[in-house]
Amino acid sequence: MRQPQVEAMPPAELELLQLERLQSTLTRAYRQVKFYRRQFDRLGLRPEDIRELSDLSRLPFTTREDLSENYPYGLFAVPLRDIVRIVSSPGTTEKPLVVGYTSQDLKLWLELLARLYTAAGVTRDDIVQLILPPGLANWRRDLQAGAEYLGASVIPAATLNFAKELMVLRDYKTSVLITTPPLARHLLTVMTRLDLTPADLSLKKALLVAAPLPAALRQEIEDGLQVKISSAYGITEVMGPGLAFGCEANAGFHFSADHFYPEIIDPDTGDPLPPGTPGELVITTLSTVAFPLLRFRSGDRTFLNPTPCPCGRTLVRLGEISGRVDDIFSVGGIKVHPEQIGRLLKDLLGGILPRYRWQVVVEEGLELLDLEINMEDQLFSDEIKTLEGLCRVVRRHLQDHLGINARITLKE
Amino acid sequence: MPPIWAGTGSNYMLKIRNLFAYYGAVTALSGVTCHVNQGEIVALIGANGAGKTTLLNAICGLVRREGEITFLGRSLIGLAPENLVALGIAMVPEGRQLFAPMTVRENLELGAYHRYRREPKAAIAEDMDLVYQLFPRLKERREQKAGTLSGGEQQMLAIGRSLMARPRLLLLDEPSLGLAPIVVEDILATLGRLRQEGVTILLVEQNAREALKAADRAYVMETGRLILSGAAQDLLQNRQVTRAYLGRDYKEFTEGR
Repeated sequence: MRQPQVEAMPPAELELLQLERLQSTLTRAYRQVKFYRRQFDRLGLRPEDIRELSDLSRLPFTTREDLSENYPYGLFAVPLRDIVRIVSSPGTTEKPLVVGYTSQDLKLWLELLARLYTAAGVTRDDIVQLILPPGLANWRRDLQAGAEYLGASVIPAATLNFAKELMVLRDYKTSVLITTPPLARHLLTVMTRLDLTPADLSLKKALLVAAPLPAALRQEIEDGLQVKISSAYGITEVMGPGLAFGCEANAGFHFSADHFYPEIIDPDTGDPLPPGTPGELVITTLSTVAFPLLRFRSGDRTFLNPTPCPCGRTLVRLGEISGRVDDIFSVGGIKVHPEQIGRLLKDLLGGILPRYRWQVVVEEGLELLDLEINMEDQLFSDEIKTLEGLCRVVRRHLQDHLGINARITLKE
Repeated sequence: MPPIWAGTGSNYMLKIRNLFAYYGAVTALSGVTCHVNQGEIVALIGANGAGKTTLLNAICGLVRREGEITFLGRSLIGLAPENLVALGIAMVPEGRQLFAPMTVRENLELGAYHRYRREPKAAIAEDMDLVYQLFPRLKERREQKAGTLSGGEQQMLAIGRSLMARPRLLLLDEPSLGLAPIVVEDILATLGRLRQEGVTILLVEQNAREALKAADRAYVMETGRLILSGAAQDLLQNRQVTRAYLGRDYKEFTEGR
């Protein structure tokens, strides 16, 4: 354990710590962020009315739309001169998602990443290799910084083809691989093609992030690479990875509940649900200074497991992330809202929105968006070349804007 | 294997939950929740009038209060101020409040008043030696009248007197007030030695920089509410704190251009 005094603290103490941090977060949010002050005032509430953790349910939710409406700096709780990092990601609305960090926030974030690595059994003696696509830039940066902070030898994500990545993996004697579940499966197929076996590698652990990891897939990768697998959960809006992490006992994700408060709600009614019942994960930050988030709706479906964990940590666990409560889906770990596809097509085609169908497919272990576009009259051309060009342009547009791989087919 | 931390019970010595305090119709604290761990030095910083001293007074029952305060699992609500000493809580008030016509030694003896009937004199003498070790200046002046001491010496005597009650938790209100910077450093440096003697300390200070240097952890208070908390070292670097309480921003501004 990185910080046993917190990770395994008595529940009653954790509860008081959460309450004191929540109350000061509410005070800061109320005094410094107009959006939150209006929310409180509309309900006739003051920060001091929240006297117990359960009182939090009296406050309204914060949604991705709220973040978008307050783009770019509307939800920052400190002046810009106190901000040392401004992170953006494509988001799932029209505007990018912006999160600010003070230097204290960055320090906290590094500690949380070190917690995650320590729980995964990674130490400063490990050689850590990241294989993550550019579309997961935030995961790349976060996990690289965390491993460096821990003191491991880090091979940052590079733009190599998979054969070269495997050469690096073998020759540099990588002991920890960090990638996504789909990419790990793809690596297995490339290994078979190159006639590489796990015995040729020095790999001991794999940390699989950014996409759900069903038990069957986990087993497949564990057997194929002959490694111990761990996983982590995080969302960019709330500091990214390190929010929750798997442990030695391999039974869910320990939620860093000393710095973030989790709730599970019924996505339809908004009512809090008891532990064990699946619903939508809602997160409130307790310690971050630059970008406090009150009751942020993650959209992820999971449940809370408060039973003691064999690893000794008392931090509550998240169960398996079993999907989304909204329409957002993931292509190789990158979140996409269906509306984004239509919007991008319309932009590209000069205002014309053809009918289209899509699904996420897996090819050689890689996830890609299979997009079928109906050839409306305005788009149709006799020349095959023009049509091929259209496919290419759409593909690149999706790659540029969302960072996802796509296969485009045209249909009459 | 059970974790090494399991079953060790609570480390939180002082727990405060939703504490409100009032001066007549004025609300001076509006819902303060915080804690002090056994063996910690915790600083409470904030501007003048933020409510820092009120929090100490509320712990001691010197102002009208509502909420929960527990010390080593025992509720302090409803206890009269004079009963706190027996529980192991001592307060060193702002302005020291010494008995000026009495000598240093007599002032120290008064600090142990509640122990004379129950404890052997030797134990009390031992504690007086400890105070003299912590503050050799007091030993030199033990027969001098308290009123003739310098400000720094008076502060040492005030702390020494409260130590004579054998507190487990010491509440210190503005020990640096009116003292020269070098004396302040001297006094705050002794806090670390007090901790080695098993005393836990809650320190209220307007001199944020010195307080944060001496403390392990700190809370920042603004108009009756706690707005930030964290490791003292981190708060020393926090720009919100430096701007508001350390006066560094002006320097940054002028030296930066």
